Amino acid sequence: MRNLENQKPVPAWKIWANPIVRRYARSRLRPASFGVALMLTILIAGFFFFVTREGSARTMSQAVDIARMPLIPLLILQGLILFGLGTGQAAAGITTEADEGVIDYQRLAPMTPLAKVVGYLFALPIREWLLFLATMPFTIYSVWKGEVPVWSITQLYSVFVMAAILYHLTGLLAGSVMKNRRWAFLASTGMVFLLYTVIPQAAKFGLVYLKYVTVYPVFNEVYPYLLARPMGEAAEAIQSFVPQARFFGLNLPQAVFTLISQAVLSFAMVMMLWRRWRKADCHLLGKVGATGLFAWLQLMLLGNALPLIASGDLFPSRELNRRFGRFVNPDLTRWKPEPWEAVAMIALYGIVTLGFLWWLTFLITPQNHTQVRGWRRARKLGQPRLPSFSDAATSTPWILAMALMGAAGWLIFSRSLVESHWYPQLSLIALAPLAMVLTLVSGGLGIQTLLEAFGRKITGMAVIMVGILPVMLAVIMGVSRDDLIAPAMWMGGICPLSWPVYGAGVCLSQEGMPRDVARATPLAFWFMQGVGVLVAIWLLGKLRASRRKISEASREG
Amino acid sequence: MSEAAIEIKDLRVDYGDFMAVHDISLSIPYGQVFGLVGPNGAGKTSTFKVLTTLMEPTYGEVSVAGFDIFESAEEARRVMAYMPDLAPVPSDLKLWEFLDFHADTHQLGGRKERRERVDECLKIVNLFDKRGAWCKELSRGQTQRLVLAKTLLHRPKVLILDEPASGLDPLSRREMRMALQALAAEGATVLVSSHILSELAEMCSSLCVMNQGRLLASGTAEEVRKALGKAERRFRTTTFGDVQDLVSWLEKKPTISALKVEEAKVDFQFTGSDEEQVQLLVEMVNAGLKIRSFEEENSSFEDILVRVAEGNREE
Repeated sequence: MRNLENQKPVPAWKIWANPIVRRYARSRLRPASFGVALMLTILIAGFFFFVTREGSARTMSQAVDIARMPLIPLLILQGLILFGLGTGQAAAGITTEADEGVIDYQRLAPMTPLAKVVGYLFALPIREWLLFLATMPFTIYSVWKGEVPVWSITQLYSVFVMAAILYHLTGLLAGSVMKNRRWAFLASTGMVFLLYTVIPQAAKFGLVYLKYVTVYPVFNEVYPYLLARPMGEAAEAIQSFVPQARFFGLNLPQAVFTLISQAVLSFAMVMMLWRRWRKADCHLLGKVGATGLFAWLQLMLLGNALPLIASGDLFPSRELNRRFGRFVNPDLTRWKPEPWEAVAMIALYGIVTLGFLWWLTFLITPQNHTQVRGWRRARKLGQPRLPSFSDAATSTPWILAMALMGAAGWLIFSRSLVESHWYPQLSLIALAPLAMVLTLVSGGLGIQTLLEAFGRKITGMAVIMVGILPVMLAVIMGVSRDDLIAPAMWMGGICPLSWPVYGAGVCLSQEGMPRDVARATPLAFWFMQGVGVLVAIWLLGKLRASRRKISEASREG
Repeated sequence: MSEAAIEIKDLRVDYGDFMAVHDISLSIPYGQVFGLVGPNGAGKTSTFKVLTTLMEPTYGEVSVAGFDIFESAEEARRVMAYMPDLAPVPSDLKLWEFLDFHADTHQLGGRKERRERVDECLKIVNLFDKRGAWCKELSRGQTQRLVLAKTLLHRPKVLILDEPASGLDPLSRREMRMALQALAAEGATVLVSSHILSELAEMCSSLCVMNQGRLLASGTAEEVRKALGKAERRFRTTTFGDVQDLVSWLEKKPTISALKVEEAKVDFQFTGSDEEQVQLLVEMVNAGLKIRSFEEENSSFEDILVRVAEGNREE
């Protein structure tokens, strides 16, 4: 027997020697079940391969064109296997381990936390990886016979694999916080579905960065080579208008930028999982990590959006005009964006920023028991206060810093958009910076103080009463009678998520809006901001009292 | 390396406002089978979870086999093994696969070496003939034995077993006891909790009693029994005279309570000192109560723990 004490653990990069990978290779690749899945996959891939080839052979004469036809159907099948099933399996697999109780054995295994993360990342969807590989001979044959440039296909599949890793990490993260394996499976596959349906729409409304978490940018770049040459040439003509990946002053290939974006996000997720494997009850992100991630997301949102304003490529109507406008208006120079596009983009930027802020607030705000434990430990160690970076420390200054950072980003985005040459008639009002700061600071600190002082249940109730109910009532009022639209605007303004929308409207001129809406929006917005600030101050007072109470209670215990 | 296999200093565990473990300190030397006894909610499992690095305590210092478990968790995990209460097993693995996986995480050599060790451990727990069966097909007792085999795989220096005997039949219990004692004889330390107290007393070289997160007593079985039984000393006296005279006489004494009469026997609780006990006997003889016998009852472990548990309920 070897001397176990001095033995070095398996390095994380040695995936083939990782015991977790070997364990799942054994259980998920049993000939009976894997054999059936493999046969089905080959059958389906073969069906797509032959049906597209033979079908197109009737209308196409060139062997090269015929050979390219199966590539896109095969890519869709591979996406379903690796993105859909693989992500679901990653989430459900980790939840199953927790559910069966065996995850504690893995916690006790003498492996590094990183080796455990890497092990689960490749082990849980191991069957899906192999099924994906089983479809690859069809793709390789099509690429070879279709004379697809190797560089293009390499770019596409590099991003495809990177995206799969990112989604599987998201699945693992969902699985490690969810209790029910079915919900974990559905939530993570649902997320992938949203990424390819809803998120690209948000990307068209100024949040360009979001498209880089998908394979769309690279697919758009290389898809002319995946089509028969006549179709590909037409696509290539349209594609010549597709902008490069722009990041502030940099002009990068889509594949490179997508890979960098996804790698950084994957790194953030690995960090979260690493923290969980190191300490089961710690926050997914530390205070500095969360603030850094927020700053990075702001930087990405701005870096991708700002360079596209001057050319007009940021505007949703530009995309529509480029694809379909030529049929009604061949002169692209006559296109110009509508004012509502600026309002929509500014509102969406604010909503997404507030959403990120709330997500990170939820991750780093200590619950009551964490604070009690932190105080007791500090007292035992003779420390007069909680260490600022510890999980138990208050998240108030960090949320405040993120809210200010978000407001700055939002203001830069709005100002660049409104003061661009596209909108000579529009300008931001002088109070716009105040509106943006108030929206994010009250919204962020409101949730943070509620969470920290009153706990998750009361915060949940508050979200329902203040965030959901007023919006439902406002919608009912708005659709029932015209004269109730103004009161509906007031009612809807109670929901903090509506503040960025109202704020976007307030910061610009209300030209073109219905009269009732134009009058009610600024009044409702500023009134709600006033209320929001007062509530946030009151909650901060409550939080202070709650922290003092916890500190005193920990002295007694 | 520390002298003790397990060293706990000022350990505290809180769940919100509930204090599960309250500033306990404990030192367990190598080569002992050490029992941790206490009613439900005493803090045994929380202590075990901290020891096994599964939970971070509110505060405290803990070392296992000389490794600070907070600073050197991975090293500590290499030399310890943990068997949780109601030990779970994965549903998608066979017995040998489950053990082989854990042998692999401990890097117990190549495939052949691992397989030999797996078979060896399966033989120790009498499951070798089921090595190809699915884990999910095992009975409760067999599952316990399988997890015990898992804990033995890497020949740990410290074994931490939470209620390992639950679900085992008498024969398996005896085999487990023998296996653990053999490990202790080889120098390993076994920390075990159980509600089958008589069995713990037989198996353990030392033990401690926990209640409501505190250590009430520790030492050899006899020392613990004496320490916890002493506050509530019970006596039994028999008379060949009139038992009612004896009862009437005893009832007048302020140091005596809880009298129970059964034919010529009278059991009672006495709160006086050793000198007062001697004086009591002298007075009984002088009073002409025809005393046949007078003896202190030894408290059994079950009695002690039942009283501790009843005390919790009354509170």
